[in-house]
Amino acid sequence: MNLKGFFVASLSSALDLGIATPDDVVRYITPEVLAEHLPRPLWARLLTACLGAPRVDAQLVVETIGVPNLCEHVPSKIVWACLAEVGARSLGGALPVAVPRPISTVGLGSKPIPLATPPPPDVLPPPATPSKTPLPSVLGGAIPAPGTAGAASASGTASAAGAASAEIADVVAALEADDRQSSPGGRARSASQRFRQSSTGIGRLAGNQRRPQAQAGAPTEPSPIVPSAAAPVAPRGRRSGTEADVDEHVQTDDKDDWQSALAVEDEQLVDWQASEETVTTGDEYNRRK
Amino acid sequence: MSDQRQAWFARMMESGLEHDIFAPSDVLAHATPDVLATHLPPELLSKVLSASLAAGSMTPERVLETVTPDLLAKHLPHEVLWACIAAAAARAGVTGASSPEAS
Repeated sequence: MNLKGFFVASLSSALDLGIATPDDVVRYITPEVLAEHLPRPLWARLLTACLGAPRVDAQLVVETIGVPNLCEHVPSKIVWACLAEVGARSLGGALPVAVPRPISTVGLGSKPIPLATPPPPDVLPPPATPSKTPLPSVLGGAIPAPGTAGAASASGTASAAGAASAEIADVVAALEADDRQSSPGGRARSASQRFRQSSTGIGRLAGNQRRPQAQAGAPTEPSPIVPSAAAPVAPRGRRSGTEADVDEHVQTDDKDDWQSALAVEDEQLVDWQASEETVTTGDEYNRRK
Repeated sequence: MSDQRQAWFARMMESGLEHDIFAPSDVLAHATPDVLATHLPPELLSKVLSASLAAGSMTPERVLETVTPDLLAKHLPHEVLWACIAAAAARAGVTGASSPEAS
């Protein structure tokens, strides 16, 4: 007969099933009973657990010692008395109610539980001020300027053309300055308008530095230019018809008339030797200076 | 709570038989044929009889092989089972402890 084994099974199942509570056990297996029958190592374990626990109750005592140890060391009469009360109460209807351990609500209070994602604010924040730093240009350095790619890929003629372009650019700048001085009230015509690269050979020397032109679509009906009073060239926009306008119109209209349209007048030519603007050295320059 | 009590009595009956706290004959001393016939369902009574017929005899052990502790706790009054357990405790001499209120 293994009476203690029976007690262990009966008391353990009673605790597990909620038939008995740790308070029922401690009511019979009192601290005095434990002090008399429990071994010292088990007492050391119990004291350690109690010291480390925030709350000491009957459940802590029973769980720390363990039902097998209780039934092993506590007299069987005491254990049976505990079981007898539990059994009698179970049969009598006065069953103990297993009170669940209260859930700690410390810290919750009445504060609402914050949502994982906060709702959007009622008032939208003002839009961010644009940054004062300039935005990086889409056409940055990665995109070469027109003409530079061709110059970069060309051979030695490209470098010579670049040097010529620099010289011509200096001349053009000087002409523009002179033009502004000579016609202060009128609309200054830039040198690029006065000179045509096609006739002066600037474009050839400058390589691919051509003036960007709009792509002319193929005309459905050829419209020959008839410079007559009956069919004058209609001025475009608010500008009056100018020489440049006529020239551009001719360039895009008829391919055969390009030579006459691009004819350079004498007044547009520059006598490099006699030009005053180009004289920057010599006796005459010093005298004038 | 009834399910828990039923499970507990089943566990106690199983443990008592396992640890020889009481014998099958002790169980049938309380769970008499009248109690069994009154509370066991017909199919379970039929099974008990069939097993005994197959074995050629009906013993308390063979009855409890069919009517397991779970079935005992399920169909028999728990007072009958508790009386069996209390009688075994009395025979073991552990029923002399006084209640904590008395002390």
